[in-house]
Amino acid sequence: MAIDRQKVLETVYASIEMINEDREDKESRLELKEETRLVGRQSKLDSLKFVGLIIDIEQRLADELDIEISLTDEKAMSQARSPFRNVQSLVDYICSLEV
Amino acid sequence: MSIQWLLDKMKSFSDKEAIIWKTNRYTYKQLLDRVDYWKTTLRDNGVSGGQVVAIEGDFSPNACALLMSLVDNGNIIVPLSSTLPAKQKSEFISVAETQVKYSIDSTDNFKFEALKTKTTNPLIRNLQSINEPGLILFSSGSTGKNKAALHNFTKLLNKYKTTRPAYRTLIFLLFDHIGGINTLFHSLSNGGCLILISERDPEAVCKAIQDYQVELLPTSPTFLNLLLMSEQYKYFDLSSLKIISYGTEPMPESTLKRVHEILPDIRLLQTYGLSELGILRSKSRSSDSLWVKIGGEDYQTRVVDDILHIKTDMAMLGYLNAPSPFDEEGWFNTEDRVEVDGEYFRILGRKTDIINVGGQKVYPAEVESVLLELEGITDVTVTGESNPILGQIVVARVNLAKEEKLTDLKKRIRDFCKSRLNPYKIPQKIEIAHDNQYTARFKRMRR
Repeated sequence: MAIDRQKVLETVYASIEMINEDREDKESRLELKEETRLVGRQSKLDSLKFVGLIIDIEQRLADELDIEISLTDEKAMSQARSPFRNVQSLVDYICSLEV
Repeated sequence: MSIQWLLDKMKSFSDKEAIIWKTNRYTYKQLLDRVDYWKTTLRDNGVSGGQVVAIEGDFSPNACALLMSLVDNGNIIVPLSSTLPAKQKSEFISVAETQVKYSIDSTDNFKFEALKTKTTNPLIRNLQSINEPGLILFSSGSTGKNKAALHNFTKLLNKYKTTRPAYRTLIFLLFDHIGGINTLFHSLSNGGCLILISERDPEAVCKAIQDYQVELLPTSPTFLNLLLMSEQYKYFDLSSLKIISYGTEPMPESTLKRVHEILPDIRLLQTYGLSELGILRSKSRSSDSLWVKIGGEDYQTRVVDDILHIKTDMAMLGYLNAPSPFDEEGWFNTEDRVEVDGEYFRILGRKTDIINVGGQKVYPAEVESVLLELEGITDVTVTGESNPILGQIVVARVNLAKEEKLTDLKKRIRDFCKSRLNPYKIPQKIEIAHDNQYTARFKRMRR
């Protein structure tokens, strides 16, 4: 079954908004755009927040889109290009998975 | 003069680089001048031998020089990392019966404060009576209470009298961690160069390796996972790096293998140490193996019911705020479950239910007790779930008084926990349970 990319993108944005809710300082919020970095120094997420984001995305994908996947399994971690670079690469990676 | 031998050794390295801090390079001679400066300052501030002195800060030229001057002056030292939450810091200061506090800020300026504390703890009093310097390190206890381990600093430093290879080493572990203290004294006693950093993200670390030709990086499995994910190793020249040593939490095998694949010329070595016992000498079977020989001349090991026990003269004197953990013969139960193959051990993790989030320990009972205070939660079980990035994450399985949407519940829990728990203790994953979470004996089920 093909995955609706737009819906996945919206799900990822919903999870990012959850992270943003906890941040009073506007500067520290993540922008809702595909170029937003998720790991590395240009990212505004530390490792705890990053893992929290990924888990929230997994839970929302399962609850709202019925997509049951693990984003931190061996496969995701061993991609030649890390799927966690930014929003775009993550959404593409989710869509590339067979469900 | 308990560390005259160390100061003499350092003197012999005179113009060699000792530390690099914020692009500034300090030779051994300059560092020793700092030590002398601190000797005078301690005298001017009226800090006498035997007093308990806290140093609040991170690794910096003044923090390192002050630490050495205090050992030389016979003080009992409490290093406190600037990353500690304020409440914990004040608790540590009080448990250690701190009498003097030096706070060193990020620009290496310091503040002196004399506290009106009298030492009453028998272990501290005993160390004072024999005029030996001490070191107090905090580790987590079984109820989530931090235990204060008191060491005789002279004894702890004795092992550095043996000359060993020195490298250009990046200090990754913190100032109040046994691993950080070990890196500091190993390097200074062998003429190595220490690269002190204030940021510890993959990019900052890779940049420092490139800029200062770092040869040895002591770090944690969690950092190595982040390094792999961030791919920062692609953008910097890491060719100076010879050894990565890792410890503080169990290493996921897949992480080790990937690091080895990506950086095949770098030796990957596992270390093993505890705040109570110091760092043991260790030797990994190979770069992609989790089997490790641990011990060395000062440490005896034995395995009882798959649990590693260690006996050593290097051990702490005891806890300031908990009963002695040693048995009559002096053995210490590490509570680490191990597999044995000849001389090699494989460390499987803690036998108890402690959750290890990126090297930080979380006790389920503490998180459960906070969550149970939240309105509408009738029962909760907190467990660890393995996670390739952080090692483990905290999962809470809750029973609710009435139905609630998961996203709403998650938000309530986050808001509630924010002021009550360190960030790493806040459950990352929430599950709603519809059944009872205890056995017929009314024991909590941890699946």
